[in-house]
Amino acid sequence: MNSALWIAVLASALGTLLLRLVPLLWMRRRLRKLDGEEGVDAMPQWLTILGPLMIAAVLGVSLVPHRLDAIGWLASASGVLVTLGVWYRLRSLGWPVVAGVAAFGAVVILASLWS
Amino acid sequence: MTLQATSMPTRPWLTGVREAIPLLGGYLPVAISFGLIAAQAGFTPWEATLISLLVYAGASQFLFVGMVASGAPLWLVVAMTLLINVRHMVYAPNLAPWLGQSRWWPWLMHGLTDQVFALAHHRLPQLAAAQRLGWYTGAALLAWASWVAGTALGAVAGEWVVARWPLLGEIMPFALPALFLALLAPQFTSRRWSLALMISIITALLCTLLGYTNIGIPVAAACGALCFYAVRFTTPHRGGNDE
Repeated sequence: MNSALWIAVLASALGTLLLRLVPLLWMRRRLRKLDGEEGVDAMPQWLTILGPLMIAAVLGVSLVPHRLDAIGWLASASGVLVTLGVWYRLRSLGWPVVAGVAAFGAVVILASLWS
Repeated sequence: MTLQATSMPTRPWLTGVREAIPLLGGYLPVAISFGLIAAQAGFTPWEATLISLLVYAGASQFLFVGMVASGAPLWLVVAMTLLINVRHMVYAPNLAPWLGQSRWWPWLMHGLTDQVFALAHHRLPQLAAAQRLGWYTGAALLAWASWVAGTALGAVAGEWVVARWPLLGEIMPFALPALFLALLAPQFTSRRWSLALMISIITALLCTLLGYTNIGIPVAAACGALCFYAVRFTTPHRGGNDE
């Protein structure tokens, strides 16, 4: 890489870090100003709502299968159902993920054997 | 890996590492793909790895490499990279009430990706204050290390890995939606929240299908938020709390 490209990499890295870091400093100052309030109560309401909704949006993006055919969607639907089913029973994080990936993988592997 | 407990028998950073392991299923295949694409675009393995180490933001790295390879002006490459990452601005303030005053926290924000945020947003409130820094450090470092290692592997041996285990790259990424599902499931506490979350999920899914993945994330979250407020304003008061 030439020096101009290195500068572009460093500018992107620094900019990305600042996008993640500066809002933390702003929120810390806000929390200090509202000293005495519980942390969550001191947050603007829109922010407490936006957090889970951003996770939901990232979930929506990641749900789209790599292969956009019936097998891909069937595998995704199976993975979702099994993940939710195991979560409902165990209320934990690790096993639902393992079970969901296994269900997704089982459909993909069976489909590859079939074709 | 049950997450309801508020105290941990083991060291917090180790628990963070253990609880971030599901992230690897999504990170490694994508990082290997990035390394492979960067190598094909003319970057050396060393350069591709450094980009992952320094920028550490998946989608924008793909864009960066693609735009550089197509000869786009560098100022535009940087601007577009940062534009994609603007969504990260809401993450740290959401975690701030659970982050102490340690001088390490601002630097640890380098590791605050979409996935680490989702995990931390769910987990930090459950932990004792003294355990949060260690837990976050363990989780974020594992995710970062896997991203960097996956990039290096992809740049050096990506083509061989893809040829050797073609189905692995197709199956393992489902770990990410499965993890997000398990993280979000406890949020479905009312009809109002359920509707807002479903609107966000479906909007983001449709945006991705239409090819607008990155802009789809903030747009979908905004649609969900609008729904959340609209439902509150239009639902007649019946004496119950629907929040």
